Amino acid sequence: MAKHECQEALDRLFEYIDGELTPTELEQIGEHLKECPPCEAEHQLNDKIKRRVAATGDECAPEQLRERILETIKSARDA
Amino acid sequence: MSDTGEVTFEAEALSYMDQLYAAALRMTRNPADAEDLVQETYTKAFAAQDKFTMGTNLKAWLYRIQTNAFINTYRKKQREPKRSDAENVEDWQLAAAAEHTSSGLASAEDAALDALGDEDIKRALSELSADFRMAVYLSDVEGFAYKEIAEIMDTPVGTVMSRLHRGRKLLREKLRDYGADRGLYEARAAARDTSSEACRGKA
Repeated sequence: MAKHECQEALDRLFEYIDGELTPTELEQIGEHLKECPPCEAEHQLNDKIKRRVAATGDECAPEQLRERILETIKSARDA
Repeated sequence: MSDTGEVTFEAEALSYMDQLYAAALRMTRNPADAEDLVQETYTKAFAAQDKFTMGTNLKAWLYRIQTNAFINTYRKKQREPKRSDAENVEDWQLAAAAEHTSSGLASAEDAALDALGDEDIKRALSELSADFRMAVYLSDVEGFAYKEIAEIMDTPVGTVMSRLHRGRKLLREKLRDYGADRGLYEARAAARDTSSEACRGKA
């Protein structure tokens, strides 16, 4: 496997995962990942960490905060 | 702004409250401060709503207000060491090159990650410095594009990329450490022996 292709794929792995590449770049990196198990393993792991982090933003605003904010808006509107 | 515009702005702005609160918890790492931060965000947003153009990205606009408020108020209070912005693209490219491991090691990390809970992920994120954890949070949880994160954090896109690379590298190291602390890496030594299969990043 060509090492410069690994370098390119690894340098751009986060852009690949984050959907920041052009369709051509996406295809190039995707082709390399299919052929290179170590790069694909890096891809899978980083992608999984991203998905695990994505699943953590699930807190709801407390009810008293919602009421406080609605009160603030109302008094600003009435002022 | 017309009455209709005001109602639409208000309704849409309020619909992001849960997300802003979850982000505020990550920023401040403290529920009381998170509530105050979200309150401040909405107070500022409604005071400045004439400056917002309907049809543009209200969510990103609110995040930008909240991020500014966090930096100006809470970060000073938390006395978090302010990191240098001297990071550059070359730095993270070198870091990425050095990080390439064998598929055996990555698979061991992958398996260990499955054994960690959501609380571990939150803890690891909370241990990152504010710039890193916000960049990672905005990308991973909120799915903002790099360009949007750059606007929210008032920084060039290159800096966003650098923060994401460094933040994710640190996050991964922390998760690896948690796994090691719990004995999730018994297979690790064996995996290291197969590292000759590694395709190294650098020739």
